[in-house]
Amino acid sequence: MIHLQNIEKVYRTSTIETLALNNINLDIKKGEFVSIMGPSGCGKSTLLNVMGLLDEPSKGTVQLDGQPVMKYTDKELAKLRNQKIGFIFQSFHLINDLTVLDNVEIPLLYRATNGKPRQEYAKEALAKVGLSNRMKHFPKQLSGGQKQRVAIARAIVGNPHIILADEPTGNLDSAMGNEIMTILQELNNEGATIVMVTHDEQMAKRTHRLIRLFDGTQVV
Amino acid sequence: MIAHLFKLIWNKKKTHSLLIVEIWASFMVLFGLATLIVVNVRNYREPLGFGYENVWAIGLKANQDTVGIADKLQRVQQRLRAYSEVESVSRMGSNVPFSSSQTNNGIEYKKRKILADFYATDENFAKTLDILVPLGHWYRNADSVGKYTPVVINQNAKEELFENENPMGKIIGDRFKVVGVIDNFKAKGEFMSNKPAVFELAKVDATWVDTMLIKVKPGTDAAFEAKVVKDIAAMVTGWSVEVDYLTDMRKNQHNLVLVPIIIALIVCSFLLINVALGLFGVLNLSIAKRRGEIGLRRALGATADGISIQFIGEIWVLATFALLIGLLFAAQFPLLNVFDVNAGTYVTAILIAMLIIYGIVTLCALFPSRQAANIQPATALHEE
Repeated sequence: MIHLQNIEKVYRTSTIETLALNNINLDIKKGEFVSIMGPSGCGKSTLLNVMGLLDEPSKGTVQLDGQPVMKYTDKELAKLRNQKIGFIFQSFHLINDLTVLDNVEIPLLYRATNGKPRQEYAKEALAKVGLSNRMKHFPKQLSGGQKQRVAIARAIVGNPHIILADEPTGNLDSAMGNEIMTILQELNNEGATIVMVTHDEQMAKRTHRLIRLFDGTQVV
Repeated sequence: MIAHLFKLIWNKKKTHSLLIVEIWASFMVLFGLATLIVVNVRNYREPLGFGYENVWAIGLKANQDTVGIADKLQRVQQRLRAYSEVESVSRMGSNVPFSSSQTNNGIEYKKRKILADFYATDENFAKTLDILVPLGHWYRNADSVGKYTPVVINQNAKEELFENENPMGKIIGDRFKVVGVIDNFKAKGEFMSNKPAVFELAKVDATWVDTMLIKVKPGTDAAFEAKVVKDIAAMVTGWSVEVDYLTDMRKNQHNLVLVPIIIALIVCSFLLINVALGLFGVLNLSIAKRRGEIGLRRALGATADGISIQFIGEIWVLATFALLIGLLFAAQFPLLNVFDVNAGTYVTAILIAMLIIYGIVTLCALFPSRQAANIQPATALHEE
């Protein structure tokens, strides 16, 4: 499903060069639930961004569903992100000026899905995360756990095969974190491939496989 | 996507209210200025209706002299006719073309009453100003028989008084008989609207018909002007003699119209520059504040161009809100027929003002929206 080969990512400024990822080789199979762990600054989010086609590696190749995406145009990459990948972020990244329903509809806007089916899909996704009664609320009116559930609904509304979660429980207490983890496990059971960055050993133990990074290098 | 942008801006209407007011105010100012310009451009495109090249206006004032004024005026006219440099001479009241003087009166035909500009002239007026008379003829002294004074009217007066009726020989205002119809007559210059005009044959002994219009041969110079003034001064001692070229008077009339428009244009330009700078600043700030959202949208499937279009779209939606409010005000002008300007002029002015507003907001949004498009999604998401 996701194949990374000899991935290297270097951040350069005029005075300093930082090696964020060093020779990463990774194969994530369809239906896997993989967690990535490591100390802060070790390159976990960078790795997730490379997998999510949000960041270009300095070296190496990325394959998605067997297709090398290195030479894809911005438009082609955007289409892949929209149709095949769902993103969940630690800080939720909800748009405060839009209602919960409108937030969940966003990925479908970039597929030019018509208004009525778009709303139906969004409602279905919200029902799946148990937030049907909060559709007209604004993000500021929700708790952290509810916000993350909205973000999950947004990630799954377009039925992507892959869900990339960057510390999805990082801003939540343990009860809410468990709740989110349960939803992710359910999604995985339904067939979604999930890659999750986490600092939490307990959460990582609930996934199929653990990848450890240290200073940009894969150690496990 | 359009509905999404409307929703986004609508939900942020309080934050954007000042910006909406600013765009609305700019639209209203632009609408006013555009109306002024459209009215004048439309007037300018209408033919003037007479020739003014090589025509001089010689104003005669008797001052303290009260004896035989009419007779003296006739002698001056005859003397002017005698010059070989002069092609034609006509007498008229002080409201000569391009002067600031104006005479108007109500006139009626079959209960249709209009307000028309009145000109008291003689039989040589049409010849002196190269006025064509498509219907009937320019009055002659011989037409002044019986109790009716012969008059020539312009096309506008004909349409308002007679509609489709033939005006020839008709009596208007109890004492005037129509003998001819001319096309346009815009005495105050090209920027004047073509108003109804009535030309009546002035009586030979009318002392107030004291301005001579003379058409001189091309190339006649200031030396002849000096000679004319000297000769007239010798004929009518104590009178004031003042010569004005119609070409110069026309320029003065143009300045009276153009100077306020140019001043308004300059003021309006400064206003628009201020609005543009404000918009530019607000957009730049907005993009800096919304880097996380930009990163998120890229992650969810927006292309770089899509982000750019979104920001331009947002400012268009904002401008549309302001313009809708502006339209509510602007639409009152044609609906209530304010300033007696036709509805087409107002509609054109509204369209011009809208076009300029959309142009300005687009220009202001272009650079910030390109900046937004260039934001790296991974970096923007990380910053949040």
